[in-house]
Amino acid sequence: MNAILNYVKKNYIGFSVSVLLLLQVFLLPTLLGEEAAGGILFSIAAVGIGYFGYKAYLFRKQNPDFKAAESTTLVNILGSVIAILTGLLFGFVLMLIINPNQAIDGFFTILEGGFRNIESLGDMIYFSVPLILTGLSVAFAFRTGLFNIGASGQLTIGAFVAVYIGVRWGALADIHPLLHWLAAILFATIAGGLWGAIPGLLKAYRNVNEVVASIMLNYVAMYINTVLIRNFIYNPDFARALDIKPSAASPTFNLDLLFPDSSINAGIIVALIVVLILHIILNKTTFGYELKAVGLNRDAAKYAGMNAKRNIVISMIISGAVAGLAGALLFLVQGKHLTPVNTILTEGFTGIAISLLGLSSPIGVLLAGLFYGSLQQGGYFLQLYDYKPEIIDIIIAVIIYASALGLFLQKFVLKGLKASEMRAARQGPGDATGDTTEAEGSDDK
Amino acid sequence: MEYIIEMLNITKEFPGIKANDDVTLQLKKGEIHALLGENGAGKSTLMSVLFGLYQPEQGTIKVRGEEVIIANPNDANELGIGMVHQHFKLVHNFTVAENIVLGYEDTKNGFLELDAPIKKIQELSDRYKLKVDVNALISDISVGQQQRVEILKMLYRNAEILIFDEPTAVLTPQEIEELMNIMKDLVKEGKSIILITHKLNEIKQVADRCSVLRKGKYIGTVDVATTSVEKMAEMMVGREVSFVVDKEEPKIGDTVLSVRNLTVFNEHIHKNVVTDVSFDVRRGEILCIAGIEGNGQTQLVQAITGLIQPTEGQIDILGEDITHQSIRHRNLAGISHIPEDRHKHGLVLDYSLEENLVLQTYFEPRFQKNGFLQFDEVRVNANELIQNFDIRSGKGPVTMARSMSGGNQQKAIVAREISRDTDLLIAVQPTRGLDVGAIEYIHKQLILQRDAGKAVLLISLELDEVMNVSDRIIVMYEGENVGEFDPAKVTENELGLYMAGSKRRKTA
Amino acid sequence: MKKLLLLVASLVLVFGLAACGGDEVDTYEIAMITDSGGIDDESFNQGTWEGIVEFAEENDLTYKYYKPLEVSDDAYLDAIELAVEGGAKVVVTPGFLFESSIYVAQTEYPDVYFILIDGEPHDAGWTTWETTDNTQPILFNEHESGFLAGYAAVMDGYRNLGFTGGMAVPAVVKFGIGYIAGAYYAAQENGYTLNFGDSTYTYFGNFDESDTNKSVAASWYELGTEIIFSAAGGAGKSVMSAASDAEAMMIGVDIDQSGQSDTVLTSALKNLGVAVQQALQGYLDGDFEGGATIRKGVENDGVSLPMDTSRFTTFTQAQYDAIYEDLVDGTVVVPVNWAELVTFLGDDASNFTEATVAPTS
Repeated sequence: MNAILNYVKKNYIGFSVSVLLLLQVFLLPTLLGEEAAGGILFSIAAVGIGYFGYKAYLFRKQNPDFKAAESTTLVNILGSVIAILTGLLFGFVLMLIINPNQAIDGFFTILEGGFRNIESLGDMIYFSVPLILTGLSVAFAFRTGLFNIGASGQLTIGAFVAVYIGVRWGALADIHPLLHWLAAILFATIAGGLWGAIPGLLKAYRNVNEVVASIMLNYVAMYINTVLIRNFIYNPDFARALDIKPSAASPTFNLDLLFPDSSINAGIIVALIVVLILHIILNKTTFGYELKAVGLNRDAAKYAGMNAKRNIVISMIISGAVAGLAGALLFLVQGKHLTPVNTILTEGFTGIAISLLGLSSPIGVLLAGLFYGSLQQGGYFLQLYDYKPEIIDIIIAVIIYASALGLFLQKFVLKGLKASEMRAARQGPGDATGDTTEAEGSDDK
Repeated sequence: MEYIIEMLNITKEFPGIKANDDVTLQLKKGEIHALLGENGAGKSTLMSVLFGLYQPEQGTIKVRGEEVIIANPNDANELGIGMVHQHFKLVHNFTVAENIVLGYEDTKNGFLELDAPIKKIQELSDRYKLKVDVNALISDISVGQQQRVEILKMLYRNAEILIFDEPTAVLTPQEIEELMNIMKDLVKEGKSIILITHKLNEIKQVADRCSVLRKGKYIGTVDVATTSVEKMAEMMVGREVSFVVDKEEPKIGDTVLSVRNLTVFNEHIHKNVVTDVSFDVRRGEILCIAGIEGNGQTQLVQAITGLIQPTEGQIDILGEDITHQSIRHRNLAGISHIPEDRHKHGLVLDYSLEENLVLQTYFEPRFQKNGFLQFDEVRVNANELIQNFDIRSGKGPVTMARSMSGGNQQKAIVAREISRDTDLLIAVQPTRGLDVGAIEYIHKQLILQRDAGKAVLLISLELDEVMNVSDRIIVMYEGENVGEFDPAKVTENELGLYMAGSKRRKTA
Repeated sequence: MKKLLLLVASLVLVFGLAACGGDEVDTYEIAMITDSGGIDDESFNQGTWEGIVEFAEENDLTYKYYKPLEVSDDAYLDAIELAVEGGAKVVVTPGFLFESSIYVAQTEYPDVYFILIDGEPHDAGWTTWETTDNTQPILFNEHESGFLAGYAAVMDGYRNLGFTGGMAVPAVVKFGIGYIAGAYYAAQENGYTLNFGDSTYTYFGNFDESDTNKSVAASWYELGTEIIFSAAGGAGKSVMSAASDAEAMMIGVDIDQSGQSDTVLTSALKNLGVAVQQALQGYLDGDFEGGATIRKGVENDGVSLPMDTSRFTTFTQAQYDAIYEDLVDGTVVVPVNWAELVTFLGDDASNFTEATVAPTS
C-alpha cells in the first residue's frame, strides 16, 4: 500500500493524467454524450503527448550528456515514427490532389482514427486483436531468427478448429458457460502450433528454408480448410461454414458496457495476456535468452551448447500457436463465417507489417496493432467525405513500405542526430537546446 | 613557431567514456612523431579530431602557430594534413594515376587531363623514392605498392603533415623495412609524420619522439633515442611489462584430454583435413599445437569441442568417451574454449556484455530459478569479471558487445572461459590482433591456469608465443601430427622447417 | 533532398490554403453498401451501383457507396449506420449477406428506406423473418435467366456445353439448373444430341479471377467444349481468357458482360439496375413498396438476355421472343431445384448427378 502511495507521489502528474483518461473513457460519454467526449479525448491525448514532451525536456536538462544517437532503441523507434509520418504525409498530399476542399477535415478524420468516439474505440480494439496476435506470431519467430511467413496458414488452421468446435461442441457450454469458448481457443492454439511445427521441423532437421516451407504450407492450409469446411461444417445455402453456437463466441466480459455499441470482446484481454507472456519469455527467461541467442548468432549459440534445432522447432510452435489463436479470435464472432473460398487470409501478411512497425518487440507490436486498427477506423470514417475508402490502404501501404526501408531510415536518423549533436557540441558543452526529435523519444530511458 | 601542429588540452567525450581527456600533442616540423597506446587508448579519436571527423568538447588546435577550427576532412586537407588509412581507400579497377588524381582531376576540353598529373606523380615518385608504375591497375599491384599509392595521393595534394594509421599491420617484413626507409626519406624532404602504432620496435626504428596515451589520458612525450623499449611499454600499459614469460617448472598430473587416431573428413574439399592425430593433455601443462594457418588445427579443435563430428577416432575427457556427446555435455564435462573467431563463435554481438558473460552458464542454478534468468546474479557475475579481468567498456555490464574494442571483447571471452573453472582450457589464437599489454595479460592467465592444475591446449600461429608459453609443442602439417618437441630443446628455425613441411618425424 | 522537401512543403501550403475555402459537410441521399468485393467487380456490386448512379444522375440526387470493414453482420450493420450518419435516406444492399443486418437496421431507422437485393431480412438466429414497411427485398428467378441462356446457346448451334459456378450458393445453383433445362429443352425440341454432363459442370469454390480457374476452363476447351456458362463473378474473366486462347465462346452472368471480351456470346442477366431503379422510383414518388418481397422474373422483366449485344449467328430475336413468351405464359415451367430438373429432363437426367449440380454438403 505504501509503495503504491509512494509511486503516486513520485509520479503525480502521470497519475493524474491516467485518472483523467480513465474518467474520460468511462464517465464522460455518459455525462456529455459521445461527440463531445471524442473531442475531449483527443485534446487529452494532446495534453498527454505534451506532458511527455515536457518530461523529455526535463530529462535533457538534467542529462545534458545524453546522446540520442547512442541509444539504438531510440533510433529504432524514431525510424518507425518517421515511417508513419512519411505515410501520413503522403496520404495528405494524395488527399489534397484528389479533393482539396475536404482534405483537412478528411486528414483529421484519419488522424483521429479510432479515437473518434467510444464506439469506434471499441471497434478499433476489436479489429486490432487478430492483427496484434499475428504480429506477435511473426515478431516472436523473427526474434529467434526465423521468418514465419506462414502465419496465414497457421491462422487458417486455428480458425477452422475454433469454428468446428464452435459449431459442434455446444454441449460443453452445459458444463460451464465459458468452457465452450475456452476449448475452442485452446484447441485452435494447439492446432496452429502443430501447423507451425512443420516448417520448424523441416528447418531444424532437413535444413529447408522456413520461408519457402511456410509460404507453401499457406496454400496447403487454405485447401485443407476448404475441404474440411465442406465435409464437416458446411452451410450449402450460403456456401460458408455453419453459424457457431452463441456459447462459442468470444464473451464480452462487460467490455461492451465500457464501449457501448461496439464489437469489442474478450479478445483484447487474451491479446494482452499473450503480449505479457511473450514479453516475459523473451526478456526474463533462460528459454528466451536461448531463443534470442540462436536468432542473433546461431554459431555462437551452438558453441555455447544450446540446442539450436530444438529451439527452432519450439519457436515455430509458439509462433504458430499465437497465429492459431489469432484465427480463433478472428472467427469466434457471431455473424462472421469461415468460407471455403480458395484465397489466403491476408491477416497473416498484415502481421508481418505490424511486426516490422513494432520493431519485433511484443509491446511495440501491441502499439503498432492498435495504431493499425486506428488507421483502419480512420479510413472507414473517411467515407463520410468525398474520398474512396481505398485511400487508407494506400497510406498504410506507404507506412509499411517506409518501415521496410527501416535500415535506411535508421542510418538517416543516426546521421541527423549526429549532425545536431555536433552542432550542439560546437556551440559549447551543457547546451540543452536539443531539437524536438531528440527530446521526444527520450522518455524510453 | 617550431611546432607545425599543436593539439592542446583536447577533451572528447562519448557516452560513459572520456576518449580523450586533456590530451596534448605537439608535432615538430620535419620529425616522425609516434603516437603510442593500447587498443582503445584514444589514438584514433585524437586523429579523428585532427581530421575534422569529431569536434572536441575542449581544447584548441593550432596549425603552423595559428588557431584553427577543423570542421570536416576537407578543412584538414586544405591545411595540408593527409591521412594514410590502415585500410586503403582505392578504386581497384582504376590505374595508379587515376586513383591519385581522383577528386582533384583536371579536364581539357571536357576530357580527363592525365599527362601533366602523371608527370607530377613521376616527379614525386622519384623525389621520395616511391617506386610505382603509374599506369598499372590497383588490382594488379602488391599491398605494399598500394600503400605507396596512398602516400603519393597525399603528396599530390601537397600534404605537409602525413598521418600513418597502423601502417605495418598489412605488410610483410620486407615491405615494412621499405616503408620505414620511405618515411625517413619523407622527413628528409621536409614533411612531418605522425605514426600511430602499438609496435614498439617500429617506433624505436624510425621515430624521433613518442607521445603516449593510456585510457584516454596523456601520459607524456619522450625522446625515442634515449628511452628504452621497456620504458615506453611501461608508459603505455601503466606498469612494468615483461617480454619474457615467467613461469615455473610444470607440475604435471593426470591426463585430462586424450585424443586417439582422430580423423576429420571435409565433404566440400573431399579429403581428410585431420588425419590420424593422437595426443594427451595433462594437468599442469600447456600443450601447444603449432603450425601455419590452415593445416587442420581449426578442425581438430572443433572436433574436440563438438562443433563438427570426426569421422574416426576417440576423444576422452577425464576418462569419459565424449566422441559423440553434445556440445553442452562436453562443456559440462570440463571443456572451456576460447574460440578462434570471436565474432562468429565467441560472442553474441548484439547481446550486452553481461549477457555474453553467462553464455554457457545461464541455466545453472546460480543464474536461473524456475526458468527465469536471475538478472541480479548476472550483473554480479559481470561486475566481478569486469573487475578481475579489467574488461573496459563504455557502459559497463550493459554495453553491447558489438560496441566494445576487439581487445576487450577477447578479454571478455577469456574471462568467461577461465571463470568457468573447468579441467581443460582450449585457447585458439587467443592473442590474435591484440596489443602488447593484452597479449602479456592473456599469456599470464594461461600460465595461471596451468599452475592451478588445469590442462591447457593452446593453438597458435605465432612462433614467439609457441616458444614462450608452452611446455610441449606439437607441429601440425596438412592435418597430420609431424612432430612433438620440448620448447627448451628446439629452435625457432627447427620448428619452422617442420611447420613448412620440409621435415617430419613420427612421434612415439 | 532539400529541394524536394521544399516542393512538397509548398504543395501542401497551396492545397492547404485552397482547402480552407470550402468547409461544408456533404451528405449523400442514396447509399449503397458493398458486399465482399469491390464496386468494380464487373458483376453484382457493379450492376446495382450502375443502376443507382444512372437513377441519381437523372433525378439529381446525391449518392455514395460505403465499404464495410469486414464480412460480418456487425460490420455490415456498422456500415449501414455510417451511411445513415452520412445522410442516407435510402440504403441499397446487394446480396443475401445483408439479411440479418437489415433486419436490425430496418427497426433501428424506421425513417430510412432499405432495398435488399437477393435476400429477405431475418434475425441472426434464423428464427424470425420480418420485413417492415420501409424495406423492400428483391429476389430474382435466376433459373429463368439460366434457361434462356442455355436455350439460346443450343439454338445457336452449340452442342458441347459446360458450366462453371463460383460457389454452390442457391442463386448460382439455380442459374445452373435453369441452364441445363434450357439447353436440353432446345435439344429435345429439335432432336439434337448434346455433349453436356457432369464432366463439364463444376463450382470453382471462389469468385476470383485466377490461373487455377482459368486452367479448369482451358482444359475443357481443349477437350472440345465449345461454350461455357460462367456464373462465377470475377472468375468469369478467367473463363473469358481461356476462351480467348482456345478461340471458343462463353456466357456471362448477372450483367451484360459483352464489352469485356469478344468471347462473350451472351449474358444471363439479372436486371439489377432496372430492379433497383424501380424501387428507387417508388421511394422518390412516395409510394415505396415495402413490407413484402418482390420476385423479379420473366413476367416483370427481371431477367433477360441482352439481344442487342449478343453475338448469335443463327439464334434470332423472333426465336428469343417466342421462348420468352412461353416462359411468361407458363407453357414452359423452368425447374428450380434438382428434383424438378430430373422430372423436366426425363432420360437426359442421367447425364448429371445431384452431387455435382446441387451439392448439399
